[in-house]
Amino acid sequence: MSLINEKKDFKIIADLIPAKSSVIDVGCNDGSLLEFLKEEKDIDVRGMEIDQQKVQLCLSKGISVIEGDADLDLYDYPDNLFDYSILTYTLQATKSPKNVLSELVRISSKAIISFPNFGHWKIATSLLLKRKMPISEKLSYSWHETPNLHFCTINDFIDLCDEVGIRIEKQANLKTNKLNKFNGKNLLNSYFNEVGLFLVSKIKN
Amino acid sequence: MSENKIVELAKEQALVLDCGKSLKSIKTAYTTYGKLNATKDNAILICHALTGDQYVASKHPITKKEGWWSYIVGPEKPIDTNKFFVVCPNVIGGCMGSTGPKEVNSETGKEYGTDFPVITIADMVRAQKLLIDYLGIEKIFCVTGGSMGGMLVLEWLSKFPKMVHSAIPIATATNHSAQNIALNELARQSIMADPNWNSGNYYNSDNKPLKGLSVARMAAHISYLSKDALHSKFGRNLQDKNSLDYSFDADFQIESYLRHQGFTFVDRFDANSYLYITRAMDYFDVSSSNNGSLIESFKNTSSKVLCISFTSDWLYPTSENKKIVKVFNTLGINVSFIEIETDGGHDSFLLEEPKLFEAMQGFIKSTYENL
Repeated sequence: MSLINEKKDFKIIADLIPAKSSVIDVGCNDGSLLEFLKEEKDIDVRGMEIDQQKVQLCLSKGISVIEGDADLDLYDYPDNLFDYSILTYTLQATKSPKNVLSELVRISSKAIISFPNFGHWKIATSLLLKRKMPISEKLSYSWHETPNLHFCTINDFIDLCDEVGIRIEKQANLKTNKLNKFNGKNLLNSYFNEVGLFLVSKIKN
Repeated sequence: MSENKIVELAKEQALVLDCGKSLKSIKTAYTTYGKLNATKDNAILICHALTGDQYVASKHPITKKEGWWSYIVGPEKPIDTNKFFVVCPNVIGGCMGSTGPKEVNSETGKEYGTDFPVITIADMVRAQKLLIDYLGIEKIFCVTGGSMGGMLVLEWLSKFPKMVHSAIPIATATNHSAQNIALNELARQSIMADPNWNSGNYYNSDNKPLKGLSVARMAAHISYLSKDALHSKFGRNLQDKNSLDYSFDADFQIESYLRHQGFTFVDRFDANSYLYITRAMDYFDVSSSNNGSLIESFKNTSSKVLCISFTSDWLYPTSENKKIVKVFNTLGINVSFIEIETDGGHDSFLLEEPKLFEAMQGFIKSTYENL
């Protein structure tokens, strides 16, 4: 289910993380991203993955991985154990995106979150014109078989971050491969980005 | 194939046990497979379970059956003996040649019987360390084992963290629960209720406590299987008959199966050893030397660890195994965890379970490559 599976997308994430940091990738798939981070930046990597076949792949690559569920198993980690947590294309498949988000910024100093943007114009127009749930390269499931429970738009995500006390520090543009300082909510952002990729942290009281 | 070897250790300096007593000239019976390489970085220590022994991958001298982990240990198997030097010792307190209640106490010239000191899992590990030192291994590449074997693995990680590069504890726990202790007590009581047990003095008698030991094994065997596996294997099927006998013979297949398990077990196991080893398991709490703090117990551990549990194991359930994972996570230890779906119950770690093999092989291979 990985959207972030190309080396250039890995590169954007790697650019957000200083060398030798400690990282947990929640929903780490076959461990490719973690392998990349380990090789490129000597990062101390850990994974969590719900799909056992993928857990086996991680083990065979030497990636330390916990077979677990983002909704249930993040509670087992102490506060600020990691420098960074990563959640790529998984938020929309969790039972409680709000709790998962809060847990991520609890167990790590910063979190990198990406998700398919349901506000993208192609999706919005497909819904508007065809009156059918959108199916695209990045949202490839029919409505009745999708593992995705909670779709959101970039603007929804920004609102949720506000609600749970999370600061958005940076946003990546996956088309231009650029990292931008986050300048607040705007319509164009939600309209033209197929994927939202954000660097966030907890607002300290 | 490996020949059984016996080495006598702690000849000069006695090993001080947790109970305060000490043991001198400890015999350890063990098998080895493969070759220790020049850099001595390819040793794998396998720790057996309660009724296991050193015959991990070679024919058992009494039962003539294949080794208890012959699925896993051998050339090109998950623990590849073409690459690794495998060591499997019989624990002290055991009955396959290591110092234990049925061996002769050199000071008295008689079998120890219940004069044998009560030993702990930590004592077993201390004795294993003597063997590892004797073999000239400074750092074990991987320590692994299931059930009680997993307890030994945890004890190694806690007591000798610098000697362990990686570890795979399987279907185990950081201590014995009340339920675990209760089941072991049932087994011990059935042995001690057998008049032939005779307070542990039966080695020179023609009458040995075989019935008591057999019942102990039957009770334990139930706890190794899942309800679903029992149901699918036996159901309420009758044994070689079409109708109930209205007697106390083995009408049901499950009764006949359990009786068989009990009968065959007594040929290869010593009743006193059963008492001592179950006691060691009940006393086990890896945090006991650190006032109950698991964090303190593993604070010097830097090994790479893979914890494995089985969905239908109710004796050492996933929740107990996850406790270990949680502690290791908290300490930032490189820990992995996998829960294998099977109806095989606790015994799954001894069965042909491809997902178990895949996980172990993947972990061992990649860990050795990144050494």
